[in-house]
Amino acid sequence: MASEVQPAAGLPVPGTPTELRRDVSVWGSFTWGYADVGADVYVALGLVMGAAHGAAPLAFLAAGCVYILIGFAYTELASAYPVAGGGQYYCLRGLGDIWGFIAGSALLLDYTIDIALFAAASAGYINFFFPAIQQFSIDLGPFQGINLLWAAESLLLIVLLMVLNIRGIRESSLFNSLIGAVDMVMEGSIIVLGFLFAWRPEKVVYQFQNEFPSTEQFFYAVSVAIISYVGLESISQAAQETRRPATIIPRTSIALIFVVLLFALSFPVLSLGIVDWQTLAERESDPVAALASAIPYVGFLAGQAAAVLGATIVLISANTGVMGASRLTYSMSEFHLLSPWFNAVHPKYRTPVRSVVFFSGVAAVEAIFSFLSGPKAMDTMVNMYAFGATLAYFLSFIALIALRIKDPYTPRPYRMPFNIKVKGYYIPVLGTVGALATVGMLGVVIWTHALGRIAGPGWIILWLGIYFWYRWKNGLPMLRSVPRDWEKDQIAILTSAEEFDLLEQYKLALAERNKKELKHVTK
Amino acid sequence: MIAQIHPLGAAIALFFVVSLFSILWWMLHPPLYIPAAAAKARRSVFAVKKILVPTVGLPYAERGVELACRLGSEQGAEILLTYVVEVPRTMPLGIPLPEAEQEGNEALERASSIVKLHGLPSQKILQRARLAGEEIARIARERDIDMIILGIRSDPGLKGELLGRTSDIILRHSPCEVVIDKLPKES
Repeated sequence: MASEVQPAAGLPVPGTPTELRRDVSVWGSFTWGYADVGADVYVALGLVMGAAHGAAPLAFLAAGCVYILIGFAYTELASAYPVAGGGQYYCLRGLGDIWGFIAGSALLLDYTIDIALFAAASAGYINFFFPAIQQFSIDLGPFQGINLLWAAESLLLIVLLMVLNIRGIRESSLFNSLIGAVDMVMEGSIIVLGFLFAWRPEKVVYQFQNEFPSTEQFFYAVSVAIISYVGLESISQAAQETRRPATIIPRTSIALIFVVLLFALSFPVLSLGIVDWQTLAERESDPVAALASAIPYVGFLAGQAAAVLGATIVLISANTGVMGASRLTYSMSEFHLLSPWFNAVHPKYRTPVRSVVFFSGVAAVEAIFSFLSGPKAMDTMVNMYAFGATLAYFLSFIALIALRIKDPYTPRPYRMPFNIKVKGYYIPVLGTVGALATVGMLGVVIWTHALGRIAGPGWIILWLGIYFWYRWKNGLPMLRSVPRDWEKDQIAILTSAEEFDLLEQYKLALAERNKKELKHVTK
Repeated sequence: MIAQIHPLGAAIALFFVVSLFSILWWMLHPPLYIPAAAAKARRSVFAVKKILVPTVGLPYAERGVELACRLGSEQGAEILLTYVVEVPRTMPLGIPLPEAEQEGNEALERASSIVKLHGLPSQKILQRARLAGEEIARIARERDIDMIILGIRSDPGLKGELLGRTSDIILRHSPCEVVIDKLPKES
């Protein structure tokens, strides 16, 4: 049976109860992103060291420059359109249904990899206390050096997260905030104590001068370093549950950009001044714990504490993946991009049980597949992660530019700096630079990631097949977009977000436009 | 073993701590919440893009010009200054009235210099009419005026009324918001 196409698909009209509760505070919004990003640094440090050697800080810096642009773009978009869906929603609104779906499926790839990768990383940090598990490996037919125990631990954690997310996430948000704060103090302490008591600039200079990687290796490292900066997407996914999102999100996003930059640049500079890059590259599963152990006075304790915190923070990041995937599918179903089957709610726990189980299952398959690749299991997952992130970011930049032209009336509490006025529209110069940078980064990913260049596009094509099948079965346009009243939606969004000042500003802008159009018609 | 502190390492550690705390402090102090009614009031004033100020060349009217500039400065509103020469019904409307017109032009020039101080766009409108109030209401209708600011005298007129005939007509017939500015007697 063909489903009915609503003229204004999306959010509830003012006055009706909203689906998601606005329970996320300023700190909650920040830690939502930080739980993701803080964990990314834990994971990426060893991998980037392994690829960029003495030039690791440069790789983080290069990725950081692209990340700042992405951050600015997401800050503008999330504060203007404070709804769940993130990049998928912006592309849907700016570029149409099919591009919204492509961005959404790229993000789904990332969220599922996020679950698999960070569950494996969490298990890796747990194994800091169990070196025997760390060293374990077995050959299974054509697959060499598989760490079956590590794989089993990762799968167990995925199942644990799946069960937790079916039971509810209210408490996990508080847990997120607490662990986020403790982790920041811990990470900050490692950096401060490390720079004070162990860091030697001559060691950094020596490694930088004598241990420089090849160009291809360096670019590969940059594309891996970009995973340290994934997390802004999580803030925008939580936008629909954030109090006063249009006011709070620009602050939390900008704070997150600079806090993450501080951490992401401090860690490699600190590492190269304390240990050889090989030390961290060999410990790709728990690099921060290895680094903390090398700090005098507190090293004996810092190593253990960093390992415990590493295990918890990356587990929370994996949890963000489960939550992110369910919100994304919620948004995609709402806009007729995916079947409403994914939105079935558990009768007792009121959680999207099907999407939680389905995407946790996908993550488990990805984890198994990666562990089959042997000792470089995490590297294999990062291969696919970078593809999804860069594609979604690139499309989001294009959507940003398109929305500046198509929807100049929506108030933007934050605007990307540097804009030029063309035919009455403000074109973001940095947004254009960001689009070029991310498409370049996507090229680098395709060039340097042997697996990513096949698995990434393969994933998108698979989901496009599902999309066309669903649209065809329900009598919805396949290549065109479903008609929607975006203005009515925007009023509902701002009303439910209680952003009344922006609501009045929006109504005023529409009234002025209508007045101008009326004058034009009268003439 | 006692680890030696490198000055550069100490400087980086200090920079790290100061930057981190500054960013978090800024983040945790967002702007105040604006309730629905307050937002409506704020934005409705912000929506005022064309302000009409009738002047008669007297201080209370010129104060109205200053008030209009202050109300319109944030949104860069256009200030339309108007002086209406009332022609008695016993005379033809087009009769030469050089003295009255010169007085009007001088009043408009003074008002315009006030607007210039604020850097806002302005227009000077000198009109003839039988009743100034009707003419001002007509201008407001034809030019899509959002607000009329009317400076009125402090003392009651001969009949003891505070609002004169012109103000009364404007209040009754203007299509937009009217702000009346009456100063206390001493001023």
